[in-house]
Amino acid sequence: MKFPGTCIVCNEKIPVNEIGLWAKGLGVKHEKCAQINELQCIVCGGPAGCDQCEFQENCDIPNVSQLCICKKCSEEKDAFDAYQKYVNKKFSLLNT
Amino acid sequence: MWSEKYRPQTISDMVGNEEARAAITEWFVKWKKGTKPLLLVGPPGIGKTTIAYLVAKQFGYDMIGLNASDVRSKSRINEILTPVLANVSVMGTPMIFVDEVDGIHGRGDYGGASALVDILKEPTVPIVLAANNDISDKMKSIKKVVKTIQFKKIPPRLLRVYLENILKKQNAKLSPGSIIKVITKSKGDIRSMINLTQSFVTGFNPQTETTFENINVEDGVNAFFKANSIEEARIVLYSMQIDPREKINAFYSSIITSELNPHTLAKYLEIISESDMLYGRIMKTQNWRLLRYLNDILIKLYQNDDRIRYAQYNLSWPLLNRIRWDGAKIKSLSSIMAKKLHLSSSSFVTLCLPFVLLCIKNKTLELELEETFGDLIEKEIELLK
Repeated sequence: MKFPGTCIVCNEKIPVNEIGLWAKGLGVKHEKCAQINELQCIVCGGPAGCDQCEFQENCDIPNVSQLCICKKCSEEKDAFDAYQKYVNKKFSLLNT
Repeated sequence: MWSEKYRPQTISDMVGNEEARAAITEWFVKWKKGTKPLLLVGPPGIGKTTIAYLVAKQFGYDMIGLNASDVRSKSRINEILTPVLANVSVMGTPMIFVDEVDGIHGRGDYGGASALVDILKEPTVPIVLAANNDISDKMKSIKKVVKTIQFKKIPPRLLRVYLENILKKQNAKLSPGSIIKVITKSKGDIRSMINLTQSFVTGFNPQTETTFENINVEDGVNAFFKANSIEEARIVLYSMQIDPREKINAFYSSIITSELNPHTLAKYLEIISESDMLYGRIMKTQNWRLLRYLNDILIKLYQNDDRIRYAQYNLSWPLLNRIRWDGAKIKSLSSIMAKKLHLSSSSFVTLCLPFVLLCIKNKTLELELEETFGDLIEKEIELLK
């Protein structure tokens, strides 16, 4: 970066000399933020399997909350309870 | 309503935006006088307002909820917030929540934005703001003095798990295709998703799978008065996602043109009047949060009354016909007479026509007019009585 900027994905600062991807009219983003990541399954910790998701067409991957649930975990009995359990485990603050 | 029944009771009952939820909780845990206020940014319907209320409840704060229309002018802000910030409040442990803060407009809001920024710079109580976006110029000054937390849309598959959990609790079933449709149509808005699911499950228009967004006024009004229970009527009412003015007008025209006894008609009109006053208040104050009460007023119209059918016009057909055809004849008569009397057509109709009719009736005036006007003049003379 020739000048400092703010990443349009994570909203964090990008300092001078760091690599940033810039597009006219859009802004700049970190190199890592530019990669379209697959969502992560909060229950098993693995990839959520976005390429085979039934909502693939309707899910705007970079702009959704990054923790999802994979097909296998979502088909388990009491999947939502498992989701809540793992959210509370991973973000223990939520039990405050 | 399922959306009320399954409203989250704690922060951990919510779905999605886990990191944002944790960040808000951490902010409250660490909050002390002078801590930068919070700005929650994200699309509508994903729980920004809900989390603010839940967190206030969880941390024992007394929430003072405002929205953009309350913070329009400097004097209004000071009137509401000064007692709270000066700790002279009788509210206990107050917390301020300003919703739709991006709705403050620069020029029209008489110093509201700058007064708010002044308060945000020196917070003595926890302040949480919510906005749908933070990219506008007017948000720049606010963003400088707050900590921003981004809320994102919830992944559809996670919504599916959430929805299936509700269906399980309700002991209800929906085909996988319908579930996908519901989630896709609601575009991440959880409340809409639950309402739509309830309408599908309770059998409202399940075959066509028309969404509540698409239901037209006619079907809506007819289904409302045909509904078998108040719950069903409520779902229909919420399903009519149309302009509120249009909604009130549709109920008004349908009721006024139906054959109802005077007592029932008066009761219905009273309710319509109440809803009209609410709408007037919304337009005057631009406090669109009040819109949520519109359906609660209109639901009072429900009374499984199949005498009421949707009508587009608020006048009966005979009267409308008369206006249409007789109106054209009166116009034609007035243009002829206006020329004779050296007046404008409208002056003739408003000032002279009643006297001309009276003279014809008393046979003190005879006009040489085409025969086609004969019927019209007779009708108008009848009305003179």
